[in-house]
Amino acid sequence: MSSIQQSTVRNRLLQRLSGEDFALLQPHLRTLQTELRQTLIHPHEPVTHLLFPEVGYASITSDVAGNRVEVGMIGREGLVGASPVLLDSGTTPYHEFVQSPGEMLAIEVAPFCAAVDESATLRKLMLRYLHTKLIQARQTAYANAAFTMDVRLARWILMCHDRVEGDEIVITHDFIALMLGVQRSGATLAVQALEGSQLIKAHRGRLTVRDREGLVAFANGSYGTTEAEYARLIEGA
Amino acid sequence: MPRYYFNLRYRPGSEGVAVDPEGEELRDLEAAQERALAAARDMIARTRTHLIRDWTACVFEIEDEDAQRVLTVPFSDAVPNADYG
Repeated sequence: MSSIQQSTVRNRLLQRLSGEDFALLQPHLRTLQTELRQTLIHPHEPVTHLLFPEVGYASITSDVAGNRVEVGMIGREGLVGASPVLLDSGTTPYHEFVQSPGEMLAIEVAPFCAAVDESATLRKLMLRYLHTKLIQARQTAYANAAFTMDVRLARWILMCHDRVEGDEIVITHDFIALMLGVQRSGATLAVQALEGSQLIKAHRGRLTVRDREGLVAFANGSYGTTEAEYARLIEGA
Repeated sequence: MPRYYFNLRYRPGSEGVAVDPEGEELRDLEAAQERALAAARDMIARTRTHLIRDWTACVFEIEDEDAQRVLTVPFSDAVPNADYG
């Protein structure tokens, strides 16, 4: 029997549910320990589970012709698998995998859909969440088109920072390069630019956020729109 | 396979280099040179950063695992010479 309590969950969507809506999902949730780079959703394969991240976060990447670029990020504010399931596509062209390991609460598609069909309030919250995911994707497109690599790295670090405990982000330059779609040397340059502005401290295999406000200013409007919409739509800010 | 470190020099002096902390395993020095040229070509074509005004002034200073310089690859080698004919 599941002993997951709403009072102790860390996922922000689950926290926002009414007691009744949480009770619809609760018997079907099971805890999953996640590992670095573990695949959660394979491209073009049926989605069988949705996952509410509790600790750690996932990347959504487009993998075309050997070029992998991150097109989305889902942490404790979100639900992995929400789009293909709620929008009834069943599959997604993207690869979703664990970028920061931790813990997620998994639920099979059938009981999740039954709960969404039963409760209008649950459905409404999930659709609002999907809207914020759409905005995140559009903001990523905007950032990629309008900003330099350094600004995009600042935005990306802020998005990671939102999804970890504390100020440390475990990441290699190789992985930053993959996520931003740049050369590894390019990632190193961008890290150096932010470090030179005293915004972060780089260590081997990890980064520490030193000046979050400075990073937001450096991100120059590429960061914040999605987060404000999430606060407004999900948390009633 | 040997590991090569692709330090990127973008201006003179000790602060004008982005030191590669991770390196990359490649077959041999020739493969490392090809890798450097491909990376330079890609950066010239589509990477914008505050740090660099002119990519063709940049140079890869490639080092081996003992931090010995084994090859220097100017970014200008990655672009064909202009044809003034």
